[in-house]
This record gives sequence, C-alpha cells and structure tokens, in this order.
Amino acid sequence: MQITIIQALLIGLWTAFCYTGMLWGIYTNRALVLSFGVGVILHDIPTALAVGAVSELAFMGFGVGAGGTVPPNPIGPGIIGTLMAITMHGVTPQSALALSIPFAIAIQFLQTFVYTLGAGLPEAANNALKAQKFGKFRFFSNATVYLFATVGFLLGFLGAFSMTTLKSLVGMIPDWLLTGLSVAGGMLPAIGFAMIMSVMLKKEFIPFALLGYALAAFLQLPVIGIAIIGLVFALKHYFDVDGKEEAAPATAATASTKDEEGSRDDWI
Amino acid sequence: MTGSKKLTNSDYRKTTLRSYFLQNGFNYSNYQGLGYALLMYPAFKKLYGHDKKKLAENLSENTEFYNTNPNLIPFISSIHLAMADSGMEYSEIRGIKMALMGPLAGIGDSLSQFCLAPLFSTIFASLAMNNVAMAPVFFLLAINATLISIKFAMGAYGHKLGTSMIEKLSSKMSLISDAASMVGVTVIAGLAATFVKMKVTLTYASSAKAAKGATTSTVDIQAMLDKVAPALLPVLYTLLMYYLIKKRHWTTYKLVILTVVVGIVLSALHILGA
Repeated sequence: MQITIIQALLIGLWTAFCYTGMLWGIYTNRALVLSFGVGVILHDIPTALAVGAVSELAFMGFGVGAGGTVPPNPIGPGIIGTLMAITMHGVTPQSALALSIPFAIAIQFLQTFVYTLGAGLPEAANNALKAQKFGKFRFFSNATVYLFATVGFLLGFLGAFSMTTLKSLVGMIPDWLLTGLSVAGGMLPAIGFAMIMSVMLKKEFIPFALLGYALAAFLQLPVIGIAIIGLVFALKHYFDVDGKEEAAPATAATASTKDEEGSRDDWI
Repeated sequence: MTGSKKLTNSDYRKTTLRSYFLQNGFNYSNYQGLGYALLMYPAFKKLYGHDKKKLAENLSENTEFYNTNPNLIPFISSIHLAMADSGMEYSEIRGIKMALMGPLAGIGDSLSQFCLAPLFSTIFASLAMNNVAMAPVFFLLAINATLISIKFAMGAYGHKLGTSMIEKLSSKMSLISDAASMVGVTVIAGLAATFVKMKVTLTYASSAKAAKGATTSTVDIQAMLDKVAPALLPVLYTLLMYYLIKKRHWTTYKLVILTVVVGIVLSALHILGA
C-alpha cells in the first residue's frame, strides 16, 4: 500500500502530539494510542489495533522507573511497527513488534540526547530573567516541548514517507557518540544536585547530607525510607528546640526575680 | 505575618491545571526546575507583578533542580502559593518544597506507574485484542480522568493545609523550615547518590606472567570502588560540581559542557560505560 504525502504529514503531526504528551503526562505516548492514530489515518484500524495491543502489553514494563530515566520508546512499535504491519506484505503484528525494537532503542538514545541538549536551558532561562525578559523565559521553559514535537514529527513523517531513509539515518549515528552521550546523561544530574546544595547546605546540615548518602548508597533504602529517617532527626531537633524555647521564658523570669531579690538585699 | 491574600481559589485551580506543564522544560541539569517556575508564573505575576525585579528573582530561584511526580505536584504548588501569599519569602518556603519532593515522587510514581498505568493498560489492550475499535480512546479517557481528579484533590488539600499551617504555626516557621531543610538535605544527598550514574568498565589483567595454565584474573575496578564506598564516583563528581559552583562561581553552561565532554571522552576511552 502506498502512503500519500498528506497521510505522511498527518502521521508526523500525530507522532509529534503523542510524543509531546509524554511530557504532559497524558499517556498518549503508549503503543496502543500511537498505533490507533496510524490506523485511523491509513484506514486500517484492525491491523493497527492488533499491533497496538501486542506492543502495549510488551512495553507495559518499560516506562517504569524513577523520573528522568529513559526507557525504550513505544514510538518504535506504535508508529514504525504499525507502519510496517500495514504497508509491508507478510509482516504480522508480532514480527512488527520485533522489527521495531531497534527503533524503540534508537529513539530512547535520541531522547537522552534531547534531555542532554536541554541541559543548557536553565542558564538561558535565568539569563532571560536577569534581563526581566519574561517572554524569553517562557520560551526556554517550554523548549523541551518544542524539541519533542520536532523530533516526533520527523520520526513519524520520515517513517511514513521513507522507511529506508529512516533506517540509514539511525545507522549513521556512531556508536561511540551514543554511548558517550548516555554516559554524560548519567553524570549531568550531579550539576542539579550541586546547585541545590550550594543554596541549601548550611554547615549544621552536613550530617544530614552524610546520612542521606549512607542510607542510599550503603543501605539502598528507597527515597521514602530516606525521608522518614531524615524526618526522625528533624522532628527530634524541632521538639528539642521548641521545648527549650518554651522553657526559656520561665527561666529568664526566675532569673530576673532573683536579680531583683539580690539587688534588694544589697540595697538593704 | 502581614497576609496580603492576593490569590483567589481560581489562581490555585489554574496552577493545578498548569501541572501539565511541569516537564515542558525537562532537561538533564535541573530536571523539572524550569517547569516548576513555569507553572507558578501566572500566580507569581499576580503576587509580585507590580515589582518586575522581585518577580524575576522569584522565578529564577524556583528554576533550581526539582523532580517529583507530575500528578502530585499540585499539593506542593498549592502549599507554596498559600505560604507565598501570606508574605513569606522563598527562603522560608524552600525547605518544605524540597522536603516534599522525594516522598511525593515515590508515592506518585508507585501510584501512577505501578498501579494505574498497568491496570488500565491491560484492561484496554485486551479490549483492543477483541476488536473494540474505540479501546485506545477509552484508555486515554479513563486514565486522564483518574489523573486529573487526583491533581485537583491534591491541589485543594495542599491549599487547605498550607493556609492552616500558616495560621497555626507562623511563629515557629523558621524552626519548621530548618527541620524541613534537614529532611530535604537528607533526601537530596540520597538522590544524588542514586541518580548520578558513573560506572567504570575498565578492567585490567593482573597476571603479568603469561605462563601456561596461569589463569588471567581480571581486576574489576568498579567492584573495587564499590568495596571502598558505593556510589563513590557520583558523590565525588557531585562534590566537584559543588566546589566549582560555590568556590569558582561556574555557570551551568560551563558545567554542562565540562560534563558532556568528560562523559564522551571517558566513554570513548572505555573507562566509563553506560
């Protein structure tokens, strides 16, 4: 089956919307949803549903993880896989899923690359704020959306328009660069944590930084456990200081009466 | 506490809805930091709009690293707004904002990723397999209706809690903020040790003798480092960043470029691996 340029453009727009929806947390970037759109645009909903359902279940386990970790992307089976199943002869939903896994992984790296690229955004946004340019600040604060929409559109459009071009583009990125970027992506959060610490960390909080490190690295506690143990010490501190403050006025009062008595003694 | 009370219920609702924008500026240096400032923007404009400098300062302060669950963020943003509306400075609010980040991320992620998403996903994928053409649409409607209800419930609860907290505890606020900072620092240090990833893949063969039958035992450097202290490299690298920011006043641009170059070079030399 031949895909018209209008259909290719529509698939591009659909992919852009669904992919961006991942940032908004509206669950459009799921294989089930992605493939449904392709089915509607290409007038083959049954095939699209079959690929979507199989891939949805296969990808259910992905996408699970702490915020910021990048899993294989459902655009692989959802868009590319569905396109294969609809346009290529003899491609079953299951084989479409398998054939599209390399794309899912390539898109995963692409996303890491976008997040890494975006690491310069905070500085740009803060510079805009320094100059009190609020429009510019909003532009930079929305930039990941623009990048996602662009990447999504290109993936969907290229996939629909020319699968071979897409394949060779994926092959063009050298491996060392891909691994290098994901290694750098793993290190970049250090900057964010160091920034907060540079503001929050007073000398008297150093024990808590050590506590957090020990709990996470040695005991491998989940973050809620770490927060609860931190809370234990914080509450202890709170009640200690609070208790002292309540007691303090009373002692001050007795001290002053003693003083008065003392001075009276002297006076007499 | 001079409560100016410039914000109305509709400002809280608007900020709750803007929680969808939390990841609009997502990136690997401050995660949701830009998004947090972005979602507070209209409310801040109402609070500080007469004073452009103060507005810019407040937004800028709020672009610092943040990472939590987008569905529970309305709880935090409502508390933040209630406190800011009663005239508190960001330095007094930060502790609570940072202390809530980790726990809410944990609760929210397990709720949405381990419970709601798989639940709806299996239900509607099996409907689709039975050729219910509208299954994907129902999937979107069901999960989004659930999530938006959570958002609004959290936003309203945060508003209520934020207001009552201020009325009851305004005199103890600096003590509370200190206590909250302690939780915050603990959690952030813990997150730094788990989120920052550096793994040495370099190994070297320790047997110099190429004698026949000699087993070449390779020494795994990462395993050795882990014995000294787990997450040692990530912590050292975070400390380096801290040093460069605090003592050398490096900008994020420089830090990002340094990190990307170090990452690519060390990985190309097969010293670090993903």
